[in-house]
Amino acid sequence: MFVSLLRLYCNKVDLIVKLVGYATSILMPILAFVVSFEVFSRYFLNRPTVWAFDLSLFLFGYIAILGGALAHQKKGHITVDILYKKVSHRTRCVFDVISFSLGIFFLVLIVYVCFDKYQDAINFGTRRQSEWAPLMHHFWLMTIFSCSLFILQLARDIISNAFFLMTGEQLVMEKGLEISCTKAENNDGN
Amino acid sequence: GIAANDASAAKYNWRFANLYGRGTAFGALYEQLGRDIERLSNGEIKVQVLYSGEGVGTSGLFGAVKSGLITMAASFQSMHAGEFPAGIVEIGLPGGTDDTDELYSLFHEKGWNPILQKAYGEHGLVPLEQYIQPPVYVLTKTPINSIEDFKGLKIRAPGAYGKFLRNLGASPVSLAWGEIYTSLATGVIDGAIGSNMIDHRDGNHVEVATYMYPLPLAGAQVLSMLVNQKAWNKLSDDLKTAVMEATVLHAKNQLEKSREWEAEAVAEMQEKGMKWSPEPSESDKLAWKKAGETLWDEYAAADKYSKQLIDILKKN
Amino acid sequence: MGIEALTVILLGCIFIFFALGAPVGLALGGIAMGVGYFTWGDAVFNVIPTTIESTYFSFILLAIPLYIYMGQFFTKSGIGDAMFDASQMVIGKIKGSLAISVIVVCSMIGAMVGIIGAGIMTSGSIALKPMLDRGYDERLALGVIMAGGALGILIPPSIPMIMFAAATHNSIGKMFIGAMMPALLTVSLLIAYVIISCKINPKKAPILDSDTANQKRPLGEKLSVARDGFLAMLLIVVVLGSIITGIATPTESGAIGVVGAILLSIIFKRFKVKMFLNVGLQTSMLVSVAMWIIFGASVFSNFHLLMGVQSMVSDFALNLNLPPLMIIIMFQVIMLLLGFIIDEFIIVLMCAPLFTPIAVSLGYDPIWFGVLMILNILIAVQTPPYGFALFYLKGIAPQGVGMGTIYRSVLPFITVNLIVLITCMLFPQIILWLPTKIMG
Ligand code: NA
Ligand code: NA
Repeated sequence: MFVSLLRLYCNKVDLIVKLVGYATSILMPILAFVVSFEVFSRYFLNRPTVWAFDLSLFLFGYIAILGGALAHQKKGHITVDILYKKVSHRTRCVFDVISFSLGIFFLVLIVYVCFDKYQDAINFGTRRQSEWAPLMHHFWLMTIFSCSLFILQLARDIISNAFFLMTGEQLVMEKGLEISCTKAENNDGN
Repeated sequence: GIAANDASAAKYNWRFANLYGRGTAFGALYEQLGRDIERLSNGEIKVQVLYSGEGVGTSGLFGAVKSGLITMAASFQSMHAGEFPAGIVEIGLPGGTDDTDELYSLFHEKGWNPILQKAYGEHGLVPLEQYIQPPVYVLTKTPINSIEDFKGLKIRAPGAYGKFLRNLGASPVSLAWGEIYTSLATGVIDGAIGSNMIDHRDGNHVEVATYMYPLPLAGAQVLSMLVNQKAWNKLSDDLKTAVMEATVLHAKNQLEKSREWEAEAVAEMQEKGMKWSPEPSESDKLAWKKAGETLWDEYAAADKYSKQLIDILKKN
Repeated sequence: MGIEALTVILLGCIFIFFALGAPVGLALGGIAMGVGYFTWGDAVFNVIPTTIESTYFSFILLAIPLYIYMGQFFTKSGIGDAMFDASQMVIGKIKGSLAISVIVVCSMIGAMVGIIGAGIMTSGSIALKPMLDRGYDERLALGVIMAGGALGILIPPSIPMIMFAAATHNSIGKMFIGAMMPALLTVSLLIAYVIISCKINPKKAPILDSDTANQKRPLGEKLSVARDGFLAMLLIVVVLGSIITGIATPTESGAIGVVGAILLSIIFKRFKVKMFLNVGLQTSMLVSVAMWIIFGASVFSNFHLLMGVQSMVSDFALNLNLPPLMIIIMFQVIMLLLGFIIDEFIIVLMCAPLFTPIAVSLGYDPIWFGVLMILNILIAVQTPPYGFALFYLKGIAPQGVGMGTIYRSVLPFITVNLIVLITCMLFPQIILWLPTKIMG
């Protein structure tokens, strides 16, 4: 029962993170469009927009921050994996539990301080300092949401690693990991 | 010796951030202010001066003092227009005066200071003595023979300055500071404003754009010096007076030195080929002034403290 | 605690968590905040929001998503392949020819972007896969991308150069022109290295049957390969042209490249919705990876700076009692060491105003000193164990390429950069000749 709850948690988190990450990627073409439109409007119509500058920066921030959790799920984040690659799977699990805990610590802090920023932005109606002056609060809300998602993903990995350490069995099928491990070993053989 | 080692001697350790680079002439003025605070407080307040890029970004100063990350900041209000709109009025709306005595009386006698204290107070900030820096000028690639020539020009000008230039028929463009040079060189933009003449010089803009328009966008810039309220309230009255005294000294230094350095910067730029656009006609001067005045109402409508400040401005 | 002790503790923590294989960005941020809490208290957490604002609201860094996006379209749509197929048809018989083409393409990308992150990740997107597909030695391929992508700050436009010139009141034009000869020297030496190392070890750069076959194809097919390659090349020229003619800023031109790449893939009949979505996903992941590192590292360096590490560096630099050339060499060593903990922009912001007046007072030319600084930063950011260029490269490398492989891959190329640095240090005319001739 408890184990299936854990499994349910892991699968749900994987799914939510994936959905959010995929949805975020739709912002990429929008960002490219906004920037090209500014160039077009400025050069060909001689009418620079007031909004493209801030809008493109917002999109940039949304893409970069929201994508963090999915990038982790896909093992995309950069690590210095020299020792990591040389140790056993068990040891890796221990390593991961330690380093993901540090990650959660940092992300919890981000959520905590950004919540202050969010409240402050609501209270004072904080805007960007540009001529267009869009409101800022949604950006902090997005950061809180992204980092919470990232925390859930890291917690999910800690749970599955701890489960493996205690029982010697995989909690959920770790497709991505298996692939990346075999690939890694092939490369080391070169 | 660094701050943390000497900390035992001082009662208060302050981090004081400014917008200038380490080793620059303006940077030295803030360094001096830090030393004056230490001296006048008999060493009870120890000041660590932080320069541009040293821990807090230029647009983050306001938030950093507010949160207590740094204790004190010499900020640039335009950078914080979104957090503190009244700062735009404080620094000097386009079309404002350049008479330093008049500015002084505006703050100290005609009622600006109490309003600003209240406005900054809401953010947990205490404003110290303001200081005056030289005005904002616009540099263009082609000469401006009449004010009509601004029509259709793409000029890098943030916030209020952008609105002012739009009133003249120009198109304000938003760009990162680091891209101004290349953008002027290739013609992405036809001109740019700098936060003052020294900024134009440091940015090497005259290498790629020659003509400086003789009328400044705002007569003078009144910059604020902010302290975190919690840190301020910890000080005894004597120490508060000491810090105030140091900032009054600093304001005098700024006024003297910044004029001198502005003149130097202009001379250096002229040596490198900078030219003034022809002296504007009387009607151009009038149009210039008008372009600024319509902004007053716009800014007054946007924020209650801005309105109170502008009301006083209009009365005089 | 003194700043020296604090620095030792911070570096110790970095060493431990990097060894554990922690995600670099999260680890740097977490370490700074953890250590910060014990030395400063909870006020240190306020580093986070100001760093978020300065990182994500930087228009300069916006080049990173736009150029990666362009690069990804190049690869996934086959435009990049078309370009390299064509170049292979011409010079395919030369050993290491593809790597040479890649270096040339990287130089062009260097002429578009002004920051290292965009340089490496764009070059990597466009050119890494073609080399690996053709069986190139992994380390050679990675090293070429690293060295070529880093040209982004050596070939104008260059943001660190603009920052140097502004901080020291020097001419940006002279800096840009002064860096030309060192850039040319670097590119030539890189090509020479590729040719020589492939001569010595031909396995590094196999000549594929498909390329040989390409050369034996009938003229009609050859022409179509040439046409595709020409169109792909034209896109790069258009992006470069949009910068030079003032249509767009270097940052914005990345978006023009994206639009162009979409149009080209439609012309090549390779545009598919699935490809389009996949490219967007790939890009947003890469952007996220790059930005989480930049953010975490900025939290770390902002904390370190607020604690006063710059005073430690400046005290040390100002009290050097050495002969002039030794001081210059010491400066270079300090900057290389700083490359262990901070990024390219902060190195310039910190060191340019600090070191340049001393160099000038010793009788050295500031432009020469500035270009040396840029060359130095190039090396600093790609020197193991800690360097942004290394992280970007790992981000763009195929999954499974370990950091160990990356560390080893960059060594010969760092040597090339070091040779350029030392040559320019010993023969200042390499830097100064051109600006003096052109700008007087
Ligand atoms: Na470049
Ligand atoms: Na390094």
